[in-house]
Amino acid sequence: MTFGDCTRVAAGALLRYPLRTAMMLLATAIGVAAVLVLTALGEAARSFVTDEFRALGTHLLVVLPGKTETTGMGPGLMAGESPRDLTLDDARAVLRSRAVARVAPLVVGAATVSFGGLERDITVMGTTAAMVEIRQWRMATGEFLRDQDWDRASPECVLGDTLRRELFAGLQPVGHWLRVGDRRCRVAGVLAPQGMSIMANVDELVLMPVAAAQQLLNVPGLFRLLIQATGRETVAGAQRDVVRILKERHRGQEDVTVITQDAVLTTFDGIFGALTAALAGIAAVSLVVAGVLIMNVMLVAVSQRTAEIGLLKALGASRRQVTRLFLTEAMILAACGALAGLVLGYAALVLMRALYPDLAFEPPGWALAGACLVALGCGVGFGILPARRAARLDPIAALAGR
Amino acid sequence: MNGRELVRFATHSALSHRLRSVLTALGIGIGVTAVVLLTSMGEGLHRYVLEQFTQFGTNIIGINPGRSTTFGASTGIFGSVRPLTIDDAEALKRVPFVLNTVPVVQGTASVEGGGRERSTNISGVGPEFQTAFDFRVALGTFLPADDPRAPRPLAVLGAKMRHELYGERSPLGELLRVGGERYRVIGVMEPKGQVLGFDLDDTVYIPAARALELYNRQGLFEIDVLYDKAVPADEVVAGIERMIIARHGGLDVTITTQQQMLDVLGSVLDIVTFAVAALGGISLLVGGVGIFTIMTIAVRERTAEIGLLRAIGAGRAQIRAIFLGESILLAGIGGAGGLLVGGLTVVLLGVAVPALPVGIALPYVVAAEAVAVLIGLAAGVVPAQRAAALDPVEALRAE
Amino acid sequence: MAMIRLEALGRTFEVGGQQVRALDQVDLTIEAGEYLSIMGPSGSGKSTLLNVLGLLDTPSVGAYWLDGVNTSTMGDDQLAATRQAQIGFVFQSFHLVPRMTAAENVELPMLLAGIGGAERRERAHRSLAGVGLADRADHRPAQLSGGERQRVAIARAIVMQPRLLLADEPTGNLDTGSGAEIVRIMETLNERGLTLIVVTHDLQIGERARRRLRLRDGRVVEDLRAAQA
Ligand SMILES: Nc1ncnc2c1ncn2[C@@H]1O[C@H](COP(=O)(O)OP(=O)(O)OP(=O)(O)O)[C@@H](O)[C@H]1O
Ligand SMILES: [Mg+2]
Repeated sequence: MTFGDCTRVAAGALLRYPLRTAMMLLATAIGVAAVLVLTALGEAARSFVTDEFRALGTHLLVVLPGKTETTGMGPGLMAGESPRDLTLDDARAVLRSRAVARVAPLVVGAATVSFGGLERDITVMGTTAAMVEIRQWRMATGEFLRDQDWDRASPECVLGDTLRRELFAGLQPVGHWLRVGDRRCRVAGVLAPQGMSIMANVDELVLMPVAAAQQLLNVPGLFRLLIQATGRETVAGAQRDVVRILKERHRGQEDVTVITQDAVLTTFDGIFGALTAALAGIAAVSLVVAGVLIMNVMLVAVSQRTAEIGLLKALGASRRQVTRLFLTEAMILAACGALAGLVLGYAALVLMRALYPDLAFEPPGWALAGACLVALGCGVGFGILPARRAARLDPIAALAGR
Repeated sequence: MNGRELVRFATHSALSHRLRSVLTALGIGIGVTAVVLLTSMGEGLHRYVLEQFTQFGTNIIGINPGRSTTFGASTGIFGSVRPLTIDDAEALKRVPFVLNTVPVVQGTASVEGGGRERSTNISGVGPEFQTAFDFRVALGTFLPADDPRAPRPLAVLGAKMRHELYGERSPLGELLRVGGERYRVIGVMEPKGQVLGFDLDDTVYIPAARALELYNRQGLFEIDVLYDKAVPADEVVAGIERMIIARHGGLDVTITTQQQMLDVLGSVLDIVTFAVAALGGISLLVGGVGIFTIMTIAVRERTAEIGLLRAIGAGRAQIRAIFLGESILLAGIGGAGGLLVGGLTVVLLGVAVPALPVGIALPYVVAAEAVAVLIGLAAGVVPAQRAAALDPVEALRAE
Repeated sequence: MAMIRLEALGRTFEVGGQQVRALDQVDLTIEAGEYLSIMGPSGSGKSTLLNVLGLLDTPSVGAYWLDGVNTSTMGDDQLAATRQAQIGFVFQSFHLVPRMTAAENVELPMLLAGIGGAERRERAHRSLAGVGLADRADHRPAQLSGGERQRVAIARAIVMQPRLLLADEPTGNLDTGSGAEIVRIMETLNERGLTLIVVTHDLQIGERARRRLRLRDGRVVEDLRAAQA
């Protein structure tokens, strides 16, 4: 029997029971579609988070004061103090490295802003003009903080979009004077809406010159240094330089932690990659269930078609041929089921994209290939038992329908 | 036919196709196993996290500088306009029902002792820290009740810290340099392990006022308030708020009760468990498709039997009940098998890998079995309906 | 009052847009306790008539009175209940449930009727003994010969003590010896008052009945009574 004939006979047998065949296809399709949709979800989460991190800027390094042996994202790094502050002079010194393009010192704290009788608790960020370039913020109106001597506490500030709406409903804020804590400052500009970001909600920030923020919050040191390397290749060099420079300045003690954006990205990539793989595994369980169903129905088919098999054998079909016939049926089921699953999965993805246009739902290639392979594997694997059973039937008994 | 006979009849016909019935039940079983395993991992995570949070007791209220509206990172961790001071911590002791307050300053510093140096976590705390959080001292004593504003330079080591610097030697009485200042070691804590990634053993405890000096800051990181368990947290919080307003002229702190934190965490983890249960449910769905298919086949195969039953006086309702019963039975048994396998796996996992937090989520186990039975019902309705609707004469002719 | 009365009864089937008259203008009265045989060429409507009489099928036109009740007024459940209590069937192909033992097959109608287990077993045993199969109660159909299977089917048909026994070619699948045995059993039942209607192709069997009906193209073309013959 040629391959074509075999396929035709198998397909004919399947079409004789359309409902049953449709159900097996549906079962396989649900499994494949589940793999697609779940891995696409995992991927979307991964790219959302990494994109957010990338949006912080390119070739970034973050310097935090303090260091423990155990580096990582533990609370020790997130919130801690070190005996020696990071200073503005440290920030200036870092610029000596040729691998470093820009440095933005950061001071962060809470304060109350008031304008025209309206009052609000906000987060104040003290920084320098370099910040707008590092983070690639866009301005809605006015100017960002002036590029001036970092030690000058000039009374100016830049507002986030939410603050503008809440404090200056309808009013043009640029040029107005705002009270922040116990200081007054002139609004120089307003940032365009930025949305949530990993570090803080930029739309709710008040940005001030770093020296002004230090005075306002009464902190001598810096919270972070945000450093931009000159290029992707120089990030590692910049990290080495920064550590070396700061160590020199801190009397030979390495009391800062330098995190590169790439390292964080890699960590997140790893976490979300594992998550996606786990989701794929869970979804694949349903493929196994579909395989069990295929096996079950094929077994039924073998017992129902006993007489037919007996006839085939009486007409000279070998065991091999009978096995092949039934395995072909299982393969067709699995392949068509996988195909239907792809269609179903992609339809679901189209729907999800329409609902959440911000997220990139795209199943990874390995999941696509893996789902189809597992479906086919299940089809063949679970098809073997029924096919064997059919092949072993005794032709005389089979013809008698027993 | 009463219920028991129906079950017997269904069992009988299910048993007459043993392999087929086993495979059908297996489909549901795998789904239920997946749900049980996944939810017990979710539940395990839930318990683990809650344990981590409650091991210090639930009658603790945290006060952080700075006002934040949302739970989570208070802006106060960046430093604030009005600092929380050691005097605040002392004053809060006078609030009704407050048993103790612990000022906390945290940071990292380089520590030298026993001829070695190590960068480590520094916890500046009050002497009440030990009793409030139920930490035990292995050697010596904890920080003494000195004048909280000018305490002596004494230090207590975490278990790992002691090991790193002094090995098996007793460090009591040794001199220690913390960020350049000299301290005398008066105690070593018992090992405590990690809490949410923060290694409590890799820590040096020094008096809070000294930590403030070390880090050159005015404000505390946090004040932890231990209150009388018998009193509702709200009442204590109200007292704390009044005290802070009286001292600061406004409520510029964030007060978090352990309960709030647990509630938020609990609901997040509940969602996680629910989500994984739903994922496991996909397999259950596929298993349901399997039952439907097999029952449809059974109806077709047993058409002659249905005809006979009708001929000898079975009503449509009885035929329907027979096939529905069989479908539910298959799903129910499959589900029970899944529970058994899933449960055993969880127990074995718990024994084999004690570090892995697993715990059977009973509501989900019950729900999984209920859903399995419901799936049996849903998958059986159409085939059973079909069987009941068969024309008896036609059915008898089928052979 | 006659047990069965058919008035201008017709049954038509639609096959591919064409009307097939399986039964046409049948008028028939059958008294309780009669022994009737129905013969006729293949396709003449014998089985259809038996199905209508047994309340498995409903006539397209005309009326069927059973014990003075017009059966067209009965709902599906009532029809089922009547079949259960009053009518027994014996088929050419036995229709035993293969996975059940002989006793279980006989118990089946009682199971449906909600009769308790102990009584079921007792009555099934008696019924099987009545057809001479007391010692084969635990055998499955596959372990029985054709004649034995048909005897089990008869035991099942009479276990509810019906008043009407309908047999559609009960000997069609059997050799002459077993066939004669089956007929003898049914005739014994008839002698005890059971109304017996047998469809058959076998002239010898057909002529044993006291009343002989002949069908052709769905019409009763001959209605002979042994007394008149
Ligand atoms: N369900 C049906 N659908 C269509 N036509 C039917 C159906 N049942 C019976 N017929 C037709 O009605 C006519 C009578 O059929 P019936 O089975 O009563 O014949 P019979 O006398 O029992 O024949 P036999 O001796 O071969 O059993 C036949 O022409 C048959 O084709
Ligand atoms: Mg016939």
